[in-house]
Amino acid sequence: MAKRMKAAERRASIIAVSKVLFADKGFHGVSVDEIARRVGVSPAVLYQHFTSKDDLYEAVLDSLAAPRETYVEATLDGPDDFASVLSRVTRVFIDRVEEDPDYFRMELQSALEGGDIANRFFASRWQSIADYIEYSLRELVQENRASVVNERTAALLFQGLIREAIYNKCIINSERYKETTLQNLVQQLLQLFLQAINYKE
Amino acid sequence: MSEYQHELDASGLNCPLPILRAKKTIASMNSGEVVKIIATDPGAVKDFEAFCKQTGNELLSSGEAAGKFEFQIRKQ
Repeated sequence: MAKRMKAAERRASIIAVSKVLFADKGFHGVSVDEIARRVGVSPAVLYQHFTSKDDLYEAVLDSLAAPRETYVEATLDGPDDFASVLSRVTRVFIDRVEEDPDYFRMELQSALEGGDIANRFFASRWQSIADYIEYSLRELVQENRASVVNERTAALLFQGLIREAIYNKCIINSERYKETTLQNLVQQLLQLFLQAINYKE
Repeated sequence: MSEYQHELDASGLNCPLPILRAKKTIASMNSGEVVKIIATDPGAVKDFEAFCKQTGNELLSSGEAAGKFEFQIRKQ
């Protein structure tokens, strides 16, 4: 039992160190040797916990994401209308990013590195919200409760608004928005988004 | 597999949509009735476990076949 606990602690410390390194230098900017050296283990020990650098990166991403149960709880915890659900789900996402902005630094690094890693961020983080907006807007337009807009572009607009808020509050700590919290800023942007699509409850 | 009286196809949908559709379907059902839900999002397995835990409905079965996930939920 003690040995198993030790293995779990070792795994957690590898993830914690890797997270900081990936956030500072990106996926390609860090080698397994460097991670192992920083943790104070040999690469062989690291490979006992993770099959590859890719596997380790995935584990770091998982450690930074809010559990799915939290999203399910947020989905169920209140009214079902589009604006309310979008607000609650976005709140969970922002809570988690605010708790550990290294997630967002990793995303920015991945964008510069390009390729599969950047796409993975979209698939694992943004796609749920983007799909929700797209599907919901299709229904809302049919019900005459939103303007006829390109749903995919509208989802991109929302994603851009949120990303810019995170960038200003968590990455560059902009003086311009220091009077407001990230959650408050995001909720204001959400209201602007709803106005832009002419949403009617 | 038990009998089911309702069916919900949530193929191609990601969280939170399958959860919202399931909530709506179950709200229209009588207590004791069963809904069969089809989903394609691999995360749906954890989602519906959490859904049942939070709503008090019973997850009768959860399985996968040919890239599709199937759940049967009984309304409490």
